[in-house]
Amino acid sequence: MSERVPSRLQLHDLHLAQGRRTVLEHVDGEFSPGAITALIGANGAGKSTLIQAIMGELRPISGKVVCTVDKARRAWLPQQLALDLTFPMSVEELVMTGSWPSHGSLKGYCAAHYRKGREIMARLGISHLAHRPLGELSGGQRQRALIGRTLMQEAELLLLDEPFANVDSDTVDILIRILRQMADEGVTIIIVLHDMDHLRRLADEVLMLSGGHARWVAPSSLSHQHSSAQIVPFTLGGRYAGTA
Amino acid sequence: MLALLDAWLLAPFDYGFMRRAVVGGLALSLAAPPLGVFLVLRGMSLIGDAMAHAILPGVALGFLLAGFSLPVMSMGGVLFGLLVALLAGAVSKMGGQREDAAMASFFIISLAAGVLLISIGGSSVDLTHVLFGSILAINSTALLLIASISTLIVVTLAFIFRALVVECLDPLFLRGQSRRSGWVHSVFLGLLVLNLTAGFQTLGTLMAVGLMMLPATSARFWSKRLEGLIGIAIVLAMVASTGGLLLSFHLDIPSGPSIILLAGTGYLFSALCGRYHSLTAKLRRKTSPLALEQEP
Repeated sequence: MSERVPSRLQLHDLHLAQGRRTVLEHVDGEFSPGAITALIGANGAGKSTLIQAIMGELRPISGKVVCTVDKARRAWLPQQLALDLTFPMSVEELVMTGSWPSHGSLKGYCAAHYRKGREIMARLGISHLAHRPLGELSGGQRQRALIGRTLMQEAELLLLDEPFANVDSDTVDILIRILRQMADEGVTIIIVLHDMDHLRRLADEVLMLSGGHARWVAPSSLSHQHSSAQIVPFTLGGRYAGTA
Repeated sequence: MLALLDAWLLAPFDYGFMRRAVVGGLALSLAAPPLGVFLVLRGMSLIGDAMAHAILPGVALGFLLAGFSLPVMSMGGVLFGLLVALLAGAVSKMGGQREDAAMASFFIISLAAGVLLISIGGSSVDLTHVLFGSILAINSTALLLIASISTLIVVTLAFIFRALVVECLDPLFLRGQSRRSGWVHSVFLGLLVLNLTAGFQTLGTLMAVGLMMLPATSARFWSKRLEGLIGIAIVLAMVASTGGLLLSFHLDIPSGPSIILLAGTGYLFSALCGRYHSLTAKLRRKTSPLALEQEP
């Protein structure tokens, strides 16, 4: 029997607020390495707030986030990208920036780095876009390039906020395959999802946020209860009480 | 013909003041445009202008304390510029105001304070000297200072280049990855202040920003790559500073404005005839065939 790998991310009695408004209280839990955890809940339930706290962007009112993953190995793709699409940079260069945090300021990229970058772009099906400026990419192509950056970064913790919004189905298929491969390699992945189909295909664990509280639920129980494409209306009604 | 070229391009440099002026101009042309390129890319083009005004009270205080001594005035300029940058950053953090709004408020206060200080302690000639510079009056000490500051800027830029690129492209990524994210912006503002301080002797506080911004904005019409933008901006600045000096020598016109106006002519030419986003580029716009767009 294989030994249980210790969790690299734990939440201890977390109390989070935006300004003076409490968003989440008494959030506990640990995220298993190699597992994909879906974060679900209605708009305003606190999904993005929780992700901000995990990334250290928001200080908890009380409780703590214990994360043993090195800063350079944490990746976050927020819903509202801060990416400047007018910046003169190609897809290949964007992917290569993933290796910058561990690479240093002055050392040039060697052939092995470029080879790795090309392999990653091939995995994501964006090799033909290597020299395309970022501003000329579609939403799906951009999302693939950003996932490429996290692969280059060799991320051990990956947080994604609705990565499949406004993305074509081919890209969704590729990203789901890549995320599953990353999880199999031991990456802890937390992903905000609204689509039941995506949840069914991806999630190993589900953390549901509702009414200011978080509840761990089994993905299978969600699948059995409904087959609707959207999760949100159900979470609002709190129909999962007792499923944790 | 050769004699004419010699008389126009080489003979002026028989004079020591012209040699010092051209070396000073070239040193500035190496350091200022890369900063300008990053300012343009960060959508902070006017911050350079604001910072140029912000150093004025420091320069004026230096002038009051030690007369027309470039090292003292430069030191005053650097200190005051950094102080204004810090204050603007603090006000924007405290009140949630955008940094450019805070900077705009501080720079106009600084300009008024600087002009007042110089008027109290000097004459209108001194004021003109500080506001509009006098590249032809550079002495060896000033040249050494300008060259040292330019070297410091280029070396520091090399060290922070990757972080600066990532910060421009995706500040959130930099914040998530590096403890250095906070100081990349501060170091960049510091370099800006240093560069403007080096430039005020040659072009004056009001026009020093011209050699930084005009080549950078012109380069956007010629390249879509960062290395291209920086390289082209440096070449344009060098041509403008050397050409402007020669024009000023031969036509007997003020050197600072002739350098900036030449850089300005370069900008107008680029906007009309540049490779990308210019007027002619829009007229001859062609699309590539669909086959090239698809994955092989």
